[in-house]
Amino acid sequence: MLRTRRSLLAGAAGLCAAAATRPLRAQEPGLFGPLIGDEFREPTAVLTVDLPQLQYPGKWNPRPGAMRELAVELRLRTRLEPVREPSVVTAESRKLFDTPFLYVAGEGQLPALGGAAETALGRFLDLGGMILFDAADGGTDLGFERDVAALLGRILPGAALTRVAADHVLYRSFYLVDTPLGRTNTFDHVLGIHEEGRLKALLVRNDLGGALARGESGLFTWPCTPGGADQREWAFRFAVNILLYATCTDYKADRAHVETLLRNRRWR
Amino acid sequence: MERWRITAGHVPGPFGLALVLIAVVFAIVEAARAYRKPVPGVSPRLRAGLFALRCAGALALLAVALELSLSFETTSAAGPRLVILADDSASMSIADAGAPGQEAMRRVDRVRDLWQRSADARAAWKEQGLAVQVRRFGEGSEALTGEAEANLELTARQPASDLTRALAELAAVDPAVDPRPLAGVIVLSDGLFDRTDRGADDPLVLAARELGVPITTVSAGAPHLVDLALTELRAGEFAFVENVVEFAADIEAHGLEGARTEVVLRRDGQVVATEPFVAPASGETTVRFEVAPDRVGQFVYEIEVRPVEGEASPHNNRRAFVVKVLRDKVRALHVAGRPDWDVRALRTLLGRDPNVELLSYYILRGADDADREDPLAPLSLIAFPTDELFKEQLGSFDLVILHNFDALNHQVGRYLPDIGRYVEEGGALVMIGGDMGLATGDYPAPALSAVVPVDLRVPTGLDTEAFRPAVTDAGRRHPITAWIDHSGLSDWSALPALDSYNPAKLARHEAEIGSAVLLRHPEGGPLLTIAEPGRGRVLVLSTGASWRLGFHADLPIVDGARPYDLLWLGAIRWLLRDSAADRLTLETDRPTYLLGAPITLRAAALSPSYAPEAGVEVAWRVQPLGHAADDPGADPNAPVTILSQGTWTTDALGRASETLGGGLSVGAYEAVAQRAGDESAGAAQQARRVFLVQAAGRELTRLASGPGDERLERLAEATGGRWLRAGDGLPAEPPLKAERQDRERVDSRRDVPVWSGGFAMLLLVLCLGGEVLVRRRIGLA
Repeated sequence: MLRTRRSLLAGAAGLCAAAATRPLRAQEPGLFGPLIGDEFREPTAVLTVDLPQLQYPGKWNPRPGAMRELAVELRLRTRLEPVREPSVVTAESRKLFDTPFLYVAGEGQLPALGGAAETALGRFLDLGGMILFDAADGGTDLGFERDVAALLGRILPGAALTRVAADHVLYRSFYLVDTPLGRTNTFDHVLGIHEEGRLKALLVRNDLGGALARGESGLFTWPCTPGGADQREWAFRFAVNILLYATCTDYKADRAHVETLLRNRRWR
Repeated sequence: MERWRITAGHVPGPFGLALVLIAVVFAIVEAARAYRKPVPGVSPRLRAGLFALRCAGALALLAVALELSLSFETTSAAGPRLVILADDSASMSIADAGAPGQEAMRRVDRVRDLWQRSADARAAWKEQGLAVQVRRFGEGSEALTGEAEANLELTARQPASDLTRALAELAAVDPAVDPRPLAGVIVLSDGLFDRTDRGADDPLVLAARELGVPITTVSAGAPHLVDLALTELRAGEFAFVENVVEFAADIEAHGLEGARTEVVLRRDGQVVATEPFVAPASGETTVRFEVAPDRVGQFVYEIEVRPVEGEASPHNNRRAFVVKVLRDKVRALHVAGRPDWDVRALRTLLGRDPNVELLSYYILRGADDADREDPLAPLSLIAFPTDELFKEQLGSFDLVILHNFDALNHQVGRYLPDIGRYVEEGGALVMIGGDMGLATGDYPAPALSAVVPVDLRVPTGLDTEAFRPAVTDAGRRHPITAWIDHSGLSDWSALPALDSYNPAKLARHEAEIGSAVLLRHPEGGPLLTIAEPGRGRVLVLSTGASWRLGFHADLPIVDGARPYDLLWLGAIRWLLRDSAADRLTLETDRPTYLLGAPITLRAAALSPSYAPEAGVEVAWRVQPLGHAADDPGADPNAPVTILSQGTWTTDALGRASETLGGGLSVGAYEAVAQRAGDESAGAAQQARRVFLVQAAGRELTRLASGPGDERLERLAEATGGRWLRAGDGLPAEPPLKAERQDRERVDSRRDVPVWSGGFAMLLLVLCLGGEVLVRRRIGLA
């Protein structure tokens, strides 16, 4: 009985809260008179963004499900609407150009992709695409990093991977992040190629995918060391930042944002 | 002295002349032989008569063939010329004095006084046999005769003094018209000539040397002048809106030490800045104005140093100039409801343009996202300053972009009427589709709906099926999309398909706000629609997938650019009224005209779809840009005087033009063209140009006599003449060319034609016929 009464009270309180919050939307049209049709509608269809991952001969998917997990977190934390099942593309596929973002994971090495594939990747970057390279070895083997640098040297002649400065907008595109953590905490910075006012390629060497991926059991597949759950949360935050940077570029470097953050002492 | 001579009126060609002479000589020789040869039964008298007849006939033949005449001339000896050149330019009307405190005298009066005082010298010139010619010079030169010569009548109003030209005209006198050789020149002037003094290469000195005679110069100016003059102006032809630009003026002061006045900068007759000015003892002072033009367009600026009492001339106190103010940085507000690839593409395009000052606000998380967030997570998010953006600063934006933006969810609904008014008052608005905004009916304000060509009252929803748009006829011509047709891409087969569409419908009032559909969905719905409500412009793109025109495996590159760039750069140019996108244009053939030059106005009209618009009635007018605004005595409500007006009807190519005669006086003018009967549309249907009418040269710019004296002295020195001051009087024996060459002058001439009137022909027939008859009678034929 007590439980029923509490339930009723809780229900009544919930209705009141709903009534209190509802007018926000109901009042808006009221400012201009009644709307024709529905007063407010959720989108009937949503413009989604894909987070495609490159498939290539070799260990192209060392952290299965990492992008799917990132898509889930992006939907929960931001207004981005990633697809529920990110796609897998090959470099020779026309689907490569369905999205100006590409996730390339690898472990140990990145084999040569072939002339056609590299030409396509070069055009992908020239037209405005961004590639996120993720080294799953977490700093224990520099083979993948070496191969990525060689690949980028071929498809972007004259460009070189350099350290992305700590004050780059990448570290504040959504969260204020100090260190690009992943499954490991080996490197305190990421590498990138900055051309034409944007990051064309980004190389993360702390196994970002390893921090994101969950197994079929629903549990995270790989432990984050040495920081554990906190480190994983920061890895998610950095991953969110990367996608926000990919979609908004240097939006958070606009003067209005910088001045506000400095004024509120939220960023130094 | 009288004399006569025979002249030929017609000289045949060499062959004809030789033929005639040979015939005459042969005839006479043959007759002479016959005369000398005795013939039985023919007396010597008869032979002599036959010879005489032959000679007379031959002479008559010559008179007819060569059209001989007798010329009777009366001649007299002609002495060399002495030419007086008197300066008749406006600077001669300036009054100056020998020293402070002395009464000022106009330079022209000083020269006249000199002329009268030098009557003895002039009489002496005539006694020396010199032919005296008096000419006045300004832009050109002309002779003074009779009373005008005796009194040296000068107007001192000519807008320039070109002595070089006057000397050249002397050198060009045809000796056949006036054989009197030039022996000397006397110049009466203040020495302030138009052409630049360039030392030995001075065109004036070169022209004087070419004349080959001594030039005596007499300075009309005096050293003490009271005047302020704007001598130099430094201003560019272009300036950028909202950017500080400097206009500088050099002001030369004479005889007004310590006098206080002000220097005024006007734009189109309205005072925009004032600087105090204290006159120095003498010399130049630079006054600078720093202004930031607040709008684009073409304007007449003018700097004036306000006249002080006692100035020699107020006409050199102001100078006008035309400045074209261009847009420097476009201030754009980009508001997006969520980050996606379309937002990224447009942000990248706008951010790449250094002329765009981009202010972006993207909604990075919704209310439900915030509910889930760790309250301690360090976020870089900032509040969405709706009141500041849409109330306080809305008018400062050139362009507002609502990009897939759910306005109602973010408390922007209350500002939608402000956005409608912003457009009415000249703002540019872009609405881009997606899954929110147009799709969810987030722009329901009637004031906004009234300026948008698609129906905002009904949520359109979102269709994500891929499609290829169709280019409409208007789209083939419109500057936003004309590149598609020009590149042979009209069927869209080579362009990427789009995969989102808001199936909007055109608003009922779309025709009233000059809308045009440039791209359509294959099923006929509007995809890219533009409109020109009030003074603003609106573009609605019912898709959130235009980014695909910049990112595709087989993307065609058109003229080195991605289709996405061409589409949006064209759209922005049109929205911001880049001059290339105006529908009514007015041009003048020049920004500045010389006084009296014809002025041509040309207009061109385009339809909303940017086809040449024929048959459009365009009212035009030309009116002065006056100074009523800062003239205390002027009525600010007085109607503007229209100097010329009319109505054009555009031809088949949408053009019309008018050439005005050179009847406008010196000043600044405004030409305005407006579609007839469309006054309410304001600037949207109006075109304007300003222009200046200026006098040739800068006669009154620098009035101090010192530089003029120096120049006159150098001119005299270079030609072997003397330099004098007006107070010295004219010399009785001026320097003349060393070798005096008197010539004979023909005072009158009378021609008596020998060959005309039939006499010569009759003589010819009688002589030659008589000889034949006599010969036959005596048996010699």
